[in-house]
Amino acid sequence: MILSRLKHHSDTVAGLTSLAAMVLISVAAFYGLIGFSGQGADWQLLSDNYYQSILLFSIKQAALSMLLALLLAWPVARALYYGRLPFQHSFLSLCILCFVMPTLVLITGLVALLGRDGLLTPLLGESWNLYGLNGILIAHIYLNLPFAVRVLLQALHNIPDLSWKLAVQLKFSPWQRLRLIELPALRGAFLQLSGFIFVLCFNSFAVVLALGGGPRATTLEVAIYQALKYDFNIPEALTLAWSQLLIAGALFLLIARAGRSNWLAVDTLSHQFTPQPGLFSQWGHRAVYLLSWLGMLLPMLALIPGLYQSDLSRFSLSALVQPTLTSLVLALVSASTAITLAWLMLIPIRQARLQQHNRRAMVLEWLSTHSLVAPAMVISVGLYILLLPHFDLDHHGIWLVLLLNCALVVPYAVQQLRPRLLQYDAQYQHLSQNLKLSRRQRWWVEWPFIKPTFISTFALILLLALGDVAIISIFGSDDWTTLPLLIYSYAGSYRIAEASLASLLLLLICALIVWAFERARHHA
Amino acid sequence: MLEVDHLAIERDGTLLQYQLSVATGEILAIQGRSGVGKSTLLSALAGFVAPCQGDMRWQGQSLLGLPAEQRPVSMLFQDHNLFEHLSVRENLQLGFSGKAPAEALNAASVALQVSDLLDKKPPTLSGGQRQRIAIIRTLLRPEPIVLLDEPFAELDPSTRQLATSWTLHSARAQQKTVLLVTHQQEDVTRLADRAIELG
Amino acid sequence: MRNVLNRMTVLLSGLTLAGTVQSADLTVYTYDSFISEWGPGPQLEKAFEQHCQCDIEFIGVEDGVSILNRLRIEGERTKADVILGIDDALMEETRATGLITEHQQDLSPLKAELNWQDPQFVPVDYGYFAFIYDSRKISQPVTSLKALVESDARVLYQDPRTSTPGQGLMMWMKAVYGEQSSQGWQQLAGHTVTVTKGWWEAYSMFLKGSADYVLSYTTSPAYHQLNEQTSHYKAAPFSEGHIAQVELAAVTRTSQNPVLARRFVSFLTSDEAQRIIPVTNWMLPVRDNVELPPAFDQLMQPTRIGFSASEMADQRKGWLREWRNAAAL
Repeated sequence: MILSRLKHHSDTVAGLTSLAAMVLISVAAFYGLIGFSGQGADWQLLSDNYYQSILLFSIKQAALSMLLALLLAWPVARALYYGRLPFQHSFLSLCILCFVMPTLVLITGLVALLGRDGLLTPLLGESWNLYGLNGILIAHIYLNLPFAVRVLLQALHNIPDLSWKLAVQLKFSPWQRLRLIELPALRGAFLQLSGFIFVLCFNSFAVVLALGGGPRATTLEVAIYQALKYDFNIPEALTLAWSQLLIAGALFLLIARAGRSNWLAVDTLSHQFTPQPGLFSQWGHRAVYLLSWLGMLLPMLALIPGLYQSDLSRFSLSALVQPTLTSLVLALVSASTAITLAWLMLIPIRQARLQQHNRRAMVLEWLSTHSLVAPAMVISVGLYILLLPHFDLDHHGIWLVLLLNCALVVPYAVQQLRPRLLQYDAQYQHLSQNLKLSRRQRWWVEWPFIKPTFISTFALILLLALGDVAIISIFGSDDWTTLPLLIYSYAGSYRIAEASLASLLLLLICALIVWAFERARHHA
Repeated sequence: MLEVDHLAIERDGTLLQYQLSVATGEILAIQGRSGVGKSTLLSALAGFVAPCQGDMRWQGQSLLGLPAEQRPVSMLFQDHNLFEHLSVRENLQLGFSGKAPAEALNAASVALQVSDLLDKKPPTLSGGQRQRIAIIRTLLRPEPIVLLDEPFAELDPSTRQLATSWTLHSARAQQKTVLLVTHQQEDVTRLADRAIELG
Repeated sequence: MRNVLNRMTVLLSGLTLAGTVQSADLTVYTYDSFISEWGPGPQLEKAFEQHCQCDIEFIGVEDGVSILNRLRIEGERTKADVILGIDDALMEETRATGLITEHQQDLSPLKAELNWQDPQFVPVDYGYFAFIYDSRKISQPVTSLKALVESDARVLYQDPRTSTPGQGLMMWMKAVYGEQSSQGWQQLAGHTVTVTKGWWEAYSMFLKGSADYVLSYTTSPAYHQLNEQTSHYKAAPFSEGHIAQVELAAVTRTSQNPVLARRFVSFLTSDEAQRIIPVTNWMLPVRDNVELPPAFDQLMQPTRIGFSASEMADQRKGWLREWRNAAAL
């Protein structure tokens, strides 16, 4: 008896230790910045016009991106749910690919499509300008809408057949169906998605830096970078960082409080019956579906003409082999570590939920996902400053990159795994306790339940780690280069065609990973 | 003997109180209108609800200090008795400390007419089929106390008769101490040595 | 492939080996495009190592400012013996770290045009900022900065907070407009396509046709001529004159090997090195009579205007704020 308690205990300890390690990374980063400058934040900045305009713009673009992404994702999800459309599986895989698309690749594609001489630009009228709010919104919608579609579709699938049968029996009008069945089913998903997408866009860096078009369209994260770059103005950077952490963090907590009921989707549902939409709606669904395909594919296809812009005769493909392998190894190690950490951190969270300690669970959940809201720029620069004098970052900076990549993808792993694990607990915890399952048996029972989610989570964070370049560009070294870093350095030396080729390769690798993991998940 | 001694449980602001004892090998039916706290009592005995006062004892030893995993209890819940992603056979083999008793399980599934469902997964089964499978496992597990929360609710009259008689036979053969929550008078007359009304 | 596997091993065992790596005889901090395989770094390294029978190591950071930031962070513990690639606009801030020692070089072979006398920093290359246009699309380019600002041509330039050309334009505007630069910026903002983070973002957008003019260097046409045999990309000469950027090398005070460090700095200004740098870094040589491809002879010869390094250091913050407010409105 004592032994089993101890085992139980050791799981909790491992979980809390992982959590502490994650928190420590962020604390160390802030400490690095504060310690180096010997100063705290510069609060006078708060009354500066420029600061206020950045803050307003950050909020404005994030709110707009979130609203538009959700409003557009909704009809797409409905089309998929009702439509019985061909190639739905490929469509959903493409959705993942869009969500994890390396920003560098996306931006190149969008410029080729909608830039001054873009393929579609003639259709948009004289005054069209991609740079500024337009470009930021388009890129954010492109990245987040497909993700929202997947989540909303899942929520729709969770509507039990019985509800639909009942609705048909009671002769609900379409409006009643929407109001009494669909909306309640989607409410939780909408809430969670709005918080998630808002935070992602609020903290957006690469997109805003590339498409923002200067000081008119700057987010806090970009402003932190600018403050650190030429001025090396740490107090200003800290003020911006605290503001960001406070706003995004508070919002995240609020959303976590508001929308926490939708994970109770029991698995006993079978899906044989959904009401048939009318002919008019059927055509509507098909049109929406077709447009979504186009919207997602066009920026990728627009990369291809770039290859013909100059000759690639002097280019040897072998130059891509080593960066590709480095990227893959780096991503694999980061993702494996991150998913292990996430799993461990979820142990105390699950325990707290089971014991109805909801407040404690919420605090732990916030801590486990805090690096989603913490400014990535501060974390990487802070650690860099802290470690540089003590650690040979030129030769072994790759370990720091691993650490940072890992810290940045952990929240995604936690978010993906959490609902499934909590669902498991809610459904089966009493049963497995009563059955006195051993540790090994518990694992044996739990694993097949969690496996599909585990696989798709791993794929997601693997892809995110693969495309991540914001951090690496600070630490890149001659000893090792990753594929995204190579794209930057090609482009930095007038080699646009090579950059296009490397971008396409990166995209192709991402697509292959999505395909392979989706297959594995369906067979799981 | 299982004793529930001045047990008090707080639920949604009201205090539920229990006082009863069951002899070893006895089958006790618990009745009462909905919401009176029948299932709560079973949950407390199984270790999922912590009482605020009183004690529960099995053969003189208090159960209170034991976590759910260590109580001598096998419980049939109102639902979620089967892991939906595991086959019926795999589900049946859980809950035995050593190897599952294959022969007894087979005999029981033949008796309760579920033997050709063993390789299916629960989502394809009817409510009655699920219930019979869960009953088999609950009764055959080696725990001396068996708690049944409306075990026959979804069964049609003929399978209901089959299931109650199998349960009675199985419980007697293994000297189980059974607490049975039910709304049906026929379950009480067929199965129980004694019935009490809560509330 | 073997090489790749080796690197993988290094990659994975790096942590345990951290203490055992042998350090080079000379460590040079520079920006990373300088040492990319098509930059000057590899050729310079090879040439110098043949002379000195020693091992030099380049460490590349993102850009010139990052070299300075890194020195600030490391302070006395810096590994650098030589820093290479800071420009004249950052010279005073770099000097202020107190980490730079005297170079003890003979500056007489340098071009008179540079008028260089600094005891701590040595020029290795330089260039003039210029707006590049596509002569197939524009037959009558603007002939002054004022004309460009007052035109409605679509312009791409770089953020002065994050890039050197952006800082150059800031000086240019200040030199041409003086007190009125704020209005100048506002006028320019009306027809600016975008302000990019760095040079390549702007330049690659320009090559894709996103703008009529892009801020770059007078040497950019030479690149297109030598590598692509195309001559339609041209730099527009401006009547007010052009701002120069001088890239510098310096020896650190903390260097363990100052003799070798000075030898390397001296090598950088030698005829041999100066023949390599222009065709790999696309800047101008700091010596006269360096043998270069004819494309370099066709480049324009601008008049130099601008500010001294110390003026720049004093004014940068104020000018940045002015730009930030004017361009953001």
